[in-house]
Amino acid sequence: MSELTEAQVRALAQALGLPMTPDDAAEVTHRLNAFIEALAPLTDLPSAGPEPTPAPIDPDGA
Amino acid sequence: MLASGAVSLDPFLGAARLAALVRSRQASPVELVRAYLDRIEQLDGRLRAYITVTRQGALDAARRAEETAGRSGALGPLHGVPFAVKDQFATRGVRTTAGSRILADHVPDEDATVVARLVAAGGILLGKLNLTEFALGGTIRFPFGQPRNPWNTAHDTGGSSAGSGVAAAAALAAVTLGEDTGGSVRTPASWCGVAGHRPTWGLVSRHGCIPLSWSLDAAGPLGRVVEDCALVLEIIAGHDTRDPLTARRPVPGYRAALTGEVRGLRVGVIRELTHGGETDPEVRDAVVAAAGVLGGLGAKVDEVSVPLAARAGAAFMAICDSEGAARHLPWLRGRAADYDQGTRRRLLAASLLPAALLHRAQQARALVRQQLRDALATHDVLLAPTSHRAAPTIAAFTAPITSTGEAAARFFTRRSFTTPAALAGVPALAVPCGFGASGLPLSLQVIGRRFEDATVLRVGHAYEQVTDWHRRRPPL
Repeated sequence: MSELTEAQVRALAQALGLPMTPDDAAEVTHRLNAFIEALAPLTDLPSAGPEPTPAPIDPDGA
Repeated sequence: MLASGAVSLDPFLGAARLAALVRSRQASPVELVRAYLDRIEQLDGRLRAYITVTRQGALDAARRAEETAGRSGALGPLHGVPFAVKDQFATRGVRTTAGSRILADHVPDEDATVVARLVAAGGILLGKLNLTEFALGGTIRFPFGQPRNPWNTAHDTGGSSAGSGVAAAAALAAVTLGEDTGGSVRTPASWCGVAGHRPTWGLVSRHGCIPLSWSLDAAGPLGRVVEDCALVLEIIAGHDTRDPLTARRPVPGYRAALTGEVRGLRVGVIRELTHGGETDPEVRDAVVAAAGVLGGLGAKVDEVSVPLAARAGAAFMAICDSEGAARHLPWLRGRAADYDQGTRRRLLAASLLPAALLHRAQQARALVRQQLRDALATHDVLLAPTSHRAAPTIAAFTAPITSTGEAAARFFTRRSFTTPAALAGVPALAVPCGFGASGLPLSLQVIGRRFEDATVLRVGHAYEQVTDWHRRRPPL
């Protein structure tokens, strides 16, 4: 996934009905691109690993 | 020092010792409450640990506790002891703001389960503690005042349970309650120099806790000593019909587990977090020295690898912030200007996060959980720094973000130290393990298996018994 531009971020926000000031847009772009950069290497994680369950399904489970 | 009848009381004694003094009628609940209210009056204008102080309610409760203590009959384990809770927990008739202007006038009509249990145990609520807005972290301008580190007021307290860390460290309450989504109890405990425990996910009810992330939120205590954390955990743990995700297991005696004995325990030092390039040398040295102390007590110490730990911060933020953003969408659309800019921007970024990235983060979470489980299959507990550095200045946290690299460094790096345990749902304790060159506290993190909170607390307590970091007091 390539880096997002500020214009793309503004368009995404507008599509979702989220108000965004120009200062917000600049910083949100940096934050989103930081996510893209940090999570990109995770594509190489083994796909045969454990299922991506968010939390222990059984609260009592070890 | 507090004068009370036959003995002179010290507000830094902590909850367990004060409870014992109340039980033996050597301490008066009324005098205790007055003493803490005086300290709040004297110090909190500067430290801003509290959003709301429940002065009259606390004094009334103290008078009732004093009458009860004078009669025969069993007393609750926290009888007459003043405590305070993060302003994320609902309190009946007392405003509960979550640190946000959006909820500035929100007054719940019932107590959160954890608050109700602490009161039922005899505790006296002193007030509601400051936090980063909606427990999210990254607040630039705190609507109810900037919390300041008692060791150096130019420095940050850690969050999100900022006031809980400050109040425990500065003895503005005997013990406090925080909530740890990805380090929000342990980071303020670390930077303010106190003990703080994130319980096993599902051990403690979240009913009445204003949620951030359903799959990660965990209420936990902060205290001057590990015993205070064990005391509070014993009170608040256990199934709650109003939180279906709480476990039904019986609650063990956490205080009884504090034997001081760690001989034969297998202790693994997480290599990636302790010796990684992001960790300050003074933090690394303090953690290695702490491991040596446990080795000296008879624990079997070696190193262990959790390869994905260093990536946990980004995965955590993708998951936590997405869950939070989903909850906040209506307010983001309708009341965006009422959020602090740091909160608003964090939630906006999460609202726009591509689903494919969130899925990758969930995969990473499952793998981090698996790697921690593997490490804990061969070790009873794992050690790591609670934070990679001592508390930074407040100014360092409020500077504008002008690049992608800066965003990653500020948000992901620090969180990679506390989020592996959160992502795995396992218990983790922060305990003071030294002071840096700047005179600020450093902290050891003890991580254990699910529902083995007693072992984690036992290790932290044993370490505390042979060190004196927890006895030092901030220069107030």
